Amino acid sequence: MAVFDTPEEAFGALRPVCVQLTKTQTVENVEHLQAQLQAVSDSALQELQQYILFPLRFTLKTPGPKRERLIQSVVECLTFVLSSTCVKEQVLLQELFSEISACLYSPKSQKPAAVSEELKLAVIQGLSTLMHSAYGDILLAFYEPSILPRLGFAVSLLLDLAEQEKSKQIKIAALKCLQVLLFQCDCQDHPRSLDELEQKQLGDLFASFLPGISMALARVITGDFKQGHGIIVSSLKTFYKTVSFIMADEQLERISKVQPKPAVEHRVAELMVHREAKWVKNTSDKLTILIKKIIECVSGHPHWKVRLALIELVEALLLKCSQSLVGSAGPLLKALVGLVNDESPEVQAQCSKVLRHFADQKVVVGNRAFADILSENLHSLATSLPRLMSSQDDQGKFSTLSLLLGYLKLLGPRVNFVLNSVTHLQRLSKALIQVLELDVTDIKVVEERCWNSGPLGASETAATQPRSPMQRRYFRFFTDERLFLLLQQVCQLLGFYGDVYLLIDHFMELYRESVVYRKQAAMILNELVAGAAGLEVENLHENHIKTSTEELREIVTSILEEYTSQENWYLTTCIESEEVGEELTMKQSGLQAITSGAHTCQVTSFPAFSKPSPTICSMNSNIWQICIQLEGIGRFAYALGKDFRLLLMTALYPVLEKAGDQTLLISQAATSAMMDICHTCGYYSLQHLINQNSDYLVNGISLNLRHLSLHPHTPKVLEVMLWNSDASLLPLVADVVQDVLATLDQFYDKRAASFVGVLHALLAALEEQSDPPKVDESDTGPDVEPPLPVQIQIATDVMERCIHMLSDKNLKIRLKVLDVLNLCVVVLQSHKNQLLPLAHRAWPPLVHRLTNDDPLVVLRAFKVLRTLGGKCGDFLRSRFCKDILPKLAGSLVTQAPVSARAGPVYSHTLAFKLQLAVLQGLGPLCERLDLGDSDLNKVADACLIYLSAKQPMKLQEAARRVFLHLMKVDPDSTWFLLNELYCPEQLTPPHPSLHPVQLRGTMGQGNPYAANVLCLLQELQ
Amino acid sequence: MEKMTAPPPNMAASPLPPPDPCFVLRGAQSAVHALHFFGGAQGQVHPLLLSGSLSGLVHIWSLQTRRAVATLDGHGGQCVTWLQTLPQGRQLLSQGRDLKLCLWDLAEGRNTVVDSVPLESMGFCRSSILAGGQERWMLAMPGRGNDEVQILEMPSKTSVCTLKPEADAKPGMPMCLELWQADSSPRPLLLAGYEDGSVALWDVSERKVCSRVACHTEPVMGFDFDSQKARGVSGSAEKALAVWSLDEQQALQMCRTHELTNPGIADVKIRPDRKILATAGWDHRVRVFHWRTMKPLAVLSFHSATIHCVAFATDGLLAAGSGDQRISIWSLYPISTDSSTPLLGHTEGGEVGAHASA
Repeated sequence: MAVFDTPEEAFGALRPVCVQLTKTQTVENVEHLQAQLQAVSDSALQELQQYILFPLRFTLKTPGPKRERLIQSVVECLTFVLSSTCVKEQVLLQELFSEISACLYSPKSQKPAAVSEELKLAVIQGLSTLMHSAYGDILLAFYEPSILPRLGFAVSLLLDLAEQEKSKQIKIAALKCLQVLLFQCDCQDHPRSLDELEQKQLGDLFASFLPGISMALARVITGDFKQGHGIIVSSLKTFYKTVSFIMADEQLERISKVQPKPAVEHRVAELMVHREAKWVKNTSDKLTILIKKIIECVSGHPHWKVRLALIELVEALLLKCSQSLVGSAGPLLKALVGLVNDESPEVQAQCSKVLRHFADQKVVVGNRAFADILSENLHSLATSLPRLMSSQDDQGKFSTLSLLLGYLKLLGPRVNFVLNSVTHLQRLSKALIQVLELDVTDIKVVEERCWNSGPLGASETAATQPRSPMQRRYFRFFTDERLFLLLQQVCQLLGFYGDVYLLIDHFMELYRESVVYRKQAAMILNELVAGAAGLEVENLHENHIKTSTEELREIVTSILEEYTSQENWYLTTCIESEEVGEELTMKQSGLQAITSGAHTCQVTSFPAFSKPSPTICSMNSNIWQICIQLEGIGRFAYALGKDFRLLLMTALYPVLEKAGDQTLLISQAATSAMMDICHTCGYYSLQHLINQNSDYLVNGISLNLRHLSLHPHTPKVLEVMLWNSDASLLPLVADVVQDVLATLDQFYDKRAASFVGVLHALLAALEEQSDPPKVDESDTGPDVEPPLPVQIQIATDVMERCIHMLSDKNLKIRLKVLDVLNLCVVVLQSHKNQLLPLAHRAWPPLVHRLTNDDPLVVLRAFKVLRTLGGKCGDFLRSRFCKDILPKLAGSLVTQAPVSARAGPVYSHTLAFKLQLAVLQGLGPLCERLDLGDSDLNKVADACLIYLSAKQPMKLQEAARRVFLHLMKVDPDSTWFLLNELYCPEQLTPPHPSLHPVQLRGTMGQGNPYAANVLCLLQELQ
Repeated sequence: MEKMTAPPPNMAASPLPPPDPCFVLRGAQSAVHALHFFGGAQGQVHPLLLSGSLSGLVHIWSLQTRRAVATLDGHGGQCVTWLQTLPQGRQLLSQGRDLKLCLWDLAEGRNTVVDSVPLESMGFCRSSILAGGQERWMLAMPGRGNDEVQILEMPSKTSVCTLKPEADAKPGMPMCLELWQADSSPRPLLLAGYEDGSVALWDVSERKVCSRVACHTEPVMGFDFDSQKARGVSGSAEKALAVWSLDEQQALQMCRTHELTNPGIADVKIRPDRKILATAGWDHRVRVFHWRTMKPLAVLSFHSATIHCVAFATDGLLAAGSGDQRISIWSLYPISTDSSTPLLGHTEGGEVGAHASA
């Protein structure tokens, strides 16, 4: 709130102070004046402007040495007045300009006077405020040639300050002020927009300062790294604004060849610059040197705002001075492109924005010179790429690849000019292949296995998850994960803009050429296809035509064919497993020799057709190759979307085959490829995918079963399929099951293991089908047996085979067969006519399993007996008691003294395990079979001895459990039996007339059965 | 086709594995008795395969997705014995043992019976049509009398004539029919195979037999006729194929017979390019022969029951339908000018040549 609103009031108040100041020029008087000014309204101040300025200017002009402090306060007071008023007269502006700027100069030297920092700051502030307070017209008129010397004086003063001062504040203020003087001020009201003529006039004027400004700013920019990013950013801005103004193509176009005679005195005319062609050329050359230096220095600046400013610089110069500064275009583009992958998201975003802007404006593609420069840059980068990739560290590689990426982005479809040159394509691909080489020494890759059969994991979330994450892999030549992302992007862009047929052909050739390239080439192929489909690619070139779906499908089909071909899909990934039959080994040995011989970490190369043992490295390499190919299939699915469904008839089978692989990594990769397929083709789970495409799978399985030696994994595919589908599949697989059984009959000896897996899966599927479809009886006549339901027929056929295989040499097979047999019994339970004859035939080998086999088998056989007991108890009871029980009981009895005497090592012996298995098996079976008294007694007698505390703990436990089962069948006799062994309490008759009962069990402390019997008797109560 | 005529490679060398079907269509749910390719010529991108089953269903299979795209149920659960599409429009004729010929409209995804013709013969004889591009076409089917063939004008179903053998001929029932027209003359001709093993040529307009030749001692089960070479081939229940020809005087002559390992041929088809022919064997096998020389080229074994029918597509694809409810699709000696079926994974011509045996 001003105290003095009207000029009259203000005058009255200010007059004495002004007079006082004119008389005595002291700091105090200036401060007096300033204090009074605070109370004056702006409008009054404007009226009295000249009057108030007079004593201040007078003070400055008074000859003789003055104290700095006084000058500073005068300048500050001036600044205050100017900030609240307008300068409306040109003379005043000019005079004030000179007077203020002179404050910093000692009259004798050309250098700024050695004055206090406060004064410097005050002067800079004063100049800035002055220029802002001038009326627009007045200001423009100020910039006439005659001002050149005074303006130049101020400019060089400010540059000096910016360059030489220590204080950051002064430097920044000086740079700001310089911008104000050069009409670059950011503030809203300062420069109004200039018309062409005005621009040209200013340009003519400022051109004189260009060398000085550009060099000084370049020195600041490339100077001390530690000077703070604000100064560099400000200098960069001033630099490009000045350069792009003076060197603007738009202005230069209008410069006449002959310099018009300036209407100024000779001294000034000499300072004037005529911006004709020669001058432009000279200046441009010099600027190019500066620009290169600046870029070199700044593009790696640690502060992102500096890099951001560099982008602005590039944008301004390339947009406004594309002709005048054509020589700088190369470095400028390179700088821009190099920042495309900047670690700062702001810089990255700005860079993409500028690139997009350039593309929209056809700055590059529409400008031959630029396009040539870019192609040239890319050419030379491609040439040096292999060298750079092998010599640079991760950081260096990162910037090199970022640069490559930027060129590709900017060139867009024009990248083909480079790709079409055979040498350059070779260079490029060589570098990519080289840098993508995997580290295959990790032994875990080979070791990690998955053994369990059953449904594939993670199937429920298929529809909700986006693309499955990639498996972590390790590269020989870099560790930084960002590099791999960059490489992916590079390949995607190549696929997107490049001639995709050319590229695919090229990398296919490399893929085929050598195992050394194969994995990398496959990775590249995968990304090329993803890129061609436009996945994850940001298109900067509007009119670029994407590869059509039809073409893409053709490409994918051919790559798939290559990936899944015999020699690329069936690689040795583990040391000879039992499943791989002889023929396969023979067939693969040649291949293996090539594979391992060519591999880099394989020292000796094997002569062809000998049978080398695969090294860890080569198996590891093979595993990765398969994983990459599987990942590729997932990528292809994404590339084709729903169209990929058409390829499922060929693609799904091999993927499912790998889903059943024993190598964990492969199985995972296959599962995630299937998830990708689910996701893009609209299946909501792996089960759904498999069910819906089981016809394709069955087709593959049935055809491959015909050549089992060529396709030894076929049973595995069927197995995985069965585990992952439901019984609705049954009619479809019925004929294949017959094929499987027929094949099994041929290959009992060699391939039993893989077939047992299938049979297991098959029976598990049958078992799940809870409700067997009823056969329509009306179709059949009274005499004709109704045809068996298909699952009963299958179970019958399978059980038949199980009987044969029960005596297989291989323990694992015998175990599996018992599982299958068990399932067969479950499935056939309601068809006694089928079950009983088969059970009869299975009996002898089963007896053998129980009485004369590995403990594991014994246990498993007991389980079968239990199941059988539930379904055909009568049949089984007598046979069990006749054929098996005596033997088992006998062996338990004879073995008991041995185990009672044995030490702790005994529990590792076969004998112990057998005892345990029999004890564990007997209880539940007795209960299930509902044995008669005498047989129960046999069991009890054989087991009693094991209740002794002398027996190993585990056997005691097992024996206790036998009795728990026996109690359920016949509690009374069990009670009696136990009491006979150890009688814990005196039995008092309920009535004195009854005889007291004396049981044989002794009560003494020494009874070894005491603990167990007590425990059991408690259970009985 | 040079490779085919060359003698097969050293027979003593270990034989290559037998050729496999490209793929197998499952889901017919009963024995397959009729097959017919539809489309696949120029302009039609994805050919279809039609199959007729013992249980009376007609399945339409897409060869692109290898799946049934539609099922037609029009014969009351009775076996479908013959399928034929009409050249114009998307119309299908199906013959069933329910004594009915159905005319289906398949255009624009429809599958409805638009018309039907009652049959009066319970026999196994498959009908035949003669249709140009015109609206009207001719149908030959087994007639009311035991040995008669009836000729109808379609779609009006007007009876044109009944072809009845002369009283003393006694050829028995007609077993298979083929209507055709020589290039030189517009007169419709009918080839008919009879129960007594003979093949007769009828001049339809004059209702008389031009010529007859005894080809087999058993009923003719199927034949195909190459009107360009004026040669035909027929199979029967016996252990031989018969090749016969027609001279300018329209006289049928036996050329040769070809002995087979096993008796019983249910169907014979010559490929549209007239290079090879295929037979459907009761021995579960398809046999492929060079048509000009009758040299056996391949024995295709895959099925586990009698093969009832074979069919060729215009692009050379071979389909076989069997009692095991499956349809196998084979690509042998691809027609060289045609490369429109990359998905089907052609077998190399030379490779198959090596399995020659019969």
